[in-house]
Amino acid sequence: MKVDGSIAAVRVRDIDLEVVRRGTGRTILFLHGFHTLEPEAPFLELLSRKAFVLAPSHPGFGASARPDDFETVYDLVHLYRELIDSLPDDKITLVGASFGGWLAAEIAASCPHRLERLVLISPLGIKLSDRETPDILDVFNNHPDVVRRLSWHDPERSAPDFDALSDEALTRHARNRDALCLYGWEPYMYNPRLKRWLGRIALPTLVLWGASDGVVTPAYGRAYAAHIPGARFELIDRAGHHPEIEQPDALADRILDFVTSEMP
Amino acid sequence: MEAWWMCEVPYPHVPKAVLDEADSVRASLPNRYCDPRIAADLFEEAIDEYLLCDEMGLNVCATEHHAGINSLLGANPMLVGILARQTRKARILSLGTLVSLRREPVRVAEEYATADVISRGRLELGFVKSGGTEMASANVNPINNIERYWEAIDLIAKALSHQDGPFSWEGKHFTHRHVNIWPRPWQKQLRMWAATGDPHTAAEVGRRGMVHTLVLRGPEGTRRAYAAYRNARAEAGLPPASSESFAYSAFVCVGDTEEEGRRVGEKLLWFLNTSLKSAPQYARLLPGTAPPHVAGQAWRTRPKPAAVGPDLVNAEKGVATASANARKLVSITVEEAMAQGILFAGNPDNVFAQIKQFHDDVGGFGHLTMIGRTGFMTHAESEKSIRLFGREVLPRLKEIERVTV
Repeated sequence: MKVDGSIAAVRVRDIDLEVVRRGTGRTILFLHGFHTLEPEAPFLELLSRKAFVLAPSHPGFGASARPDDFETVYDLVHLYRELIDSLPDDKITLVGASFGGWLAAEIAASCPHRLERLVLISPLGIKLSDRETPDILDVFNNHPDVVRRLSWHDPERSAPDFDALSDEALTRHARNRDALCLYGWEPYMYNPRLKRWLGRIALPTLVLWGASDGVVTPAYGRAYAAHIPGARFELIDRAGHHPEIEQPDALADRILDFVTSEMP
Repeated sequence: MEAWWMCEVPYPHVPKAVLDEADSVRASLPNRYCDPRIAADLFEEAIDEYLLCDEMGLNVCATEHHAGINSLLGANPMLVGILARQTRKARILSLGTLVSLRREPVRVAEEYATADVISRGRLELGFVKSGGTEMASANVNPINNIERYWEAIDLIAKALSHQDGPFSWEGKHFTHRHVNIWPRPWQKQLRMWAATGDPHTAAEVGRRGMVHTLVLRGPEGTRRAYAAYRNARAEAGLPPASSESFAYSAFVCVGDTEEEGRRVGEKLLWFLNTSLKSAPQYARLLPGTAPPHVAGQAWRTRPKPAAVGPDLVNAEKGVATASANARKLVSITVEEAMAQGILFAGNPDNVFAQIKQFHDDVGGFGHLTMIGRTGFMTHAESEKSIRLFGREVLPRLKEIERVTV
């Protein structure tokens, strides 16, 4: 098995997924958010110092294929359940960020028996406020400058400079947005049924939130965590909606501490 | 050739400072800038113009756009219903209610059947793909817009033609287990139109034998799209189409003199110069607008060094997207618009000559859908243009023979 951080393809049922595999130890499956992580992303490298990290790109994202009839979060949940079932480990740790956090919560609520622990980083996926108050910033209908400002603790330092990106990276960016739009357009980034079932997550769960997150606020995060029995909620300082990019060290430390701690 | 008049009932009466300040004049401009009393006057004038068209031998065409200064026709079937009752001879083209934005195609079929019955069989159905700001204002997913478009058309067509009791539809985007509309339409088969510039869609329009209309595309884009239609028919082994299957939409303004036609015609360019402004999230950065290798380039804020800048020309399809096409047209002058075949303006003789020339250049079309009033063009100017067109231009257009193309 390749563990050097290179990109490989993994076939799950009929779908070829682009996957980063890195490190050795207990398995952490990382489900990405709005965008895929680079194979050399510090966050993945840091996690891989103490674990075997498996980071697939969702169908339609990056270089992962998406069959025409694969177009909902329901499809993604079944895909990752099948991927988890195919792993040699009895149990794994599931880590999901943002949109991937929504997937992780769905998987944990529906099939906790293959999971040892759950880490949700600024997860989307539930509706909390009243019907006229959106919980989740609309990244499609708002001006990109607004989205940029609310997504990062320090946009100048952290936000992508599109003018500096290669054509290939821009193509990936556009492909990621198309796939995200297909899966998350309506209801916008949540499943109306999920909140009721979060109580089924009988796993040690850590919910981490960028203190400066303007896409989904820490208040939403606290309420989200309160729906998961026994879940711990912690803030990551100086991070917006993408702490895996803005504060990879602090984030990886918290996750590894949690993963390697004694079971409660 | 037949002529079809359309007025999109724009709302130009927003202070220029507000329009300049706004990053989009569609979707997000607050409706407090739309005074319903002014809107009522605009509707009244537009409907009176449609009735004058009926008198003068023109057909009428109503479009639909949402939430912007370019058009107040967010509810196309309501205007179509009024025209069905108030006109007497004209054929009425709904071009159209935007079916990929609407959740219930069966309800659309009911609206159309009702209008067809009220008009005693004068309704024609047009379908437009929609896009851009309307994805936001209608809350619909831009990624599978085309799939919904065709599935909605199929369901509407079946609902309008099926006469044997309830049928069931369990499609990918629409499910309806008990479809049985009353009244059924007056016409056994309603003629269908589609407005599209992209050859993928044009090919499907061709295979289905719908009337294919091109909006403001100029001779080259129009030829290319007509060719895609014809080729698709040939490849599918279908009989060749006649010019009856092709239509072209352009600005048209007729004056007593060449000077008057051009001077008033210039007002129509407001549509291009003012009403198209859209924020990037509704246009070039909207998911699904172009294939990723093209769309990705739109995120650059400046052109790549030593390379061409972002250009939403759809390399896969070989044509500009509708929004790219529109952007090229902003700030155009009367002379440029006339040279590009998107404005036919002047005295009656010259307007006829321009249309005939364009007709011959693109290989013939049977329908001119004329954008006759927009922007600050007045009611009086519109009525004068309709009268001159109906009296002096239309009889000559009607003599243009149908050709097999």
